[in-house]
Amino acid sequence: MAASVNSLIQVRDLKKHYNKGTIKALDGVSVDIEKGDVMVVIGPSGSGKSTFLRSLNLMEEPTGGSIVFDGQDITKKKIRNAEGKLVKLNIDQYRQKMGMVFQHFNLFPHMTILDNMTLAPIQVKHMDKAEAEAKALALLDRVGLKDRAGAYPIQLSGGQKQRVAIVRALAMEPQVMLFDEPTSALDPEMVGEVLDVMKQLAREGMTMVVVTHEMGFAREVGNRMLFMADGKLLEEGTPEELFSNPQHPRLQDFLSKVL
Amino acid sequence: MDGFIKLSNFSKVVPYMSMFREGLMVTILMSVFTVLIGFVLALILALMRMSNVCPFHFLSTDKDGRLRDGGFLLALSRFNPLSFLATAYVEILRSTPVIVQIFIIYYGVFGMIDLPKVTLLGYIKFDRFFPGVVALGMNSGAYLCEIIRSGLQSVDGGQTEASRSLGLSSSQTMRFIILPQAIRNILPAIANEFVVIIKESAITYTIGVQDIMSAVNAVKGATFIIMEPLLVATAIYFCLCFPTSKLIAYFERRMSRGSKR
Repeated sequence: MAASVNSLIQVRDLKKHYNKGTIKALDGVSVDIEKGDVMVVIGPSGSGKSTFLRSLNLMEEPTGGSIVFDGQDITKKKIRNAEGKLVKLNIDQYRQKMGMVFQHFNLFPHMTILDNMTLAPIQVKHMDKAEAEAKALALLDRVGLKDRAGAYPIQLSGGQKQRVAIVRALAMEPQVMLFDEPTSALDPEMVGEVLDVMKQLAREGMTMVVVTHEMGFAREVGNRMLFMADGKLLEEGTPEELFSNPQHPRLQDFLSKVL
Repeated sequence: MDGFIKLSNFSKVVPYMSMFREGLMVTILMSVFTVLIGFVLALILALMRMSNVCPFHFLSTDKDGRLRDGGFLLALSRFNPLSFLATAYVEILRSTPVIVQIFIIYYGVFGMIDLPKVTLLGYIKFDRFFPGVVALGMNSGAYLCEIIRSGLQSVDGGQTEASRSLGLSSSQTMRFIILPQAIRNILPAIANEFVVIIKESAITYTIGVQDIMSAVNAVKGATFIIMEPLLVATAIYFCLCFPTSKLIAYFERRMSRGSKR
């Protein structure tokens, strides 16, 4: 694991236990996410793949293990600062460098698309309004939604909402994008437009961790693949390896059901 | 004193109309002040209930600085005395009759405090009016607290997650994401509470507040007729509450337009 020093995110023995350890949503997951990786996470429901993804930016608080991102173990609640004093870890500082896209879009319904996109750059990065809006419009243009900047989320289709959610996260210029089943809540005819945006993002070299059921996408775009079940990481490799030559019986069983 | 309604009896009520007019003013003023006191109290209570003041919070992590996965120390670390007090207050106030609360405030609390015996606007007896408003305000504060709390909690959890994932702090999330959406849900309920208080305030005639109901009592005592003044009171209360609630429903419909996701 010597090469892992340069990894973007190092996950070590990550655990999420409930009820004094009787329920193990995550049970010792270790993985390195390298810069430029498109890591696809698959597994049956309840396998802990969403919990794993949501732990990466501490939407779920792990009960054990470590996540080193940007040179800092972000699972620590308190850290020593430069003077050696114990201070509270400001997780917001790290979260803004990790974009997240949710299954249910989670756009802010009381704001226009443009305001949705400029809120965090203005409030968190203290960007000035004109600059933030220009950037947001450029991003919207990239996903073909520039003309909807003044609309409210309710006026958009599911696919459009998810494309906005992706560029809203991109507006913060994150180092990594986390996708939590981004196409699961979409009508079938809208899945393609969202996957296209994600493919484009992957081609541009964005580091991505994607929890998905879209096996076609996984095979085409992913360069690494994780298979999880029962909170454990059971198999890891390239999508090609996992699809054509699955080793673990659970993975063989899973693939026989989904392919 | 018989129960039959006679038209001629209504003419006996007419000389007392100024009492009804003054009673109407008292009822309205009392309701307005009650809602104001109740709202401020409710806001404080709701913030207390949803606060994150845990004096034993340091117990939540083990010596490595990580979250515990259960046990007594984790439970103790989450104990919030502010929330406990506010919850106790709300549950006690909501589980006891309002007339008991009014009597306790009037005889118990203000029995020990001498209020100035002043008369406002020429007919509002301050030493009756004030305890009535305080008691009703304390009561409606408990109910409004739950309205505010449920309004804040009715905002989908995904909204908080989306906001926090963008790097906004919890207070920024409250200010920019949760509050604007919650207020839309809360306002109609607060307006409805106003209508409820207009009706509920009738009970304060038992401590001598000279509202509409006390005007009924006065007519009864002087003329020995009861149904006719009661009908007059009914008409006044109805004319006050019905249009108000219809108006609220109208604004509720208008506000909900376009806010659905």
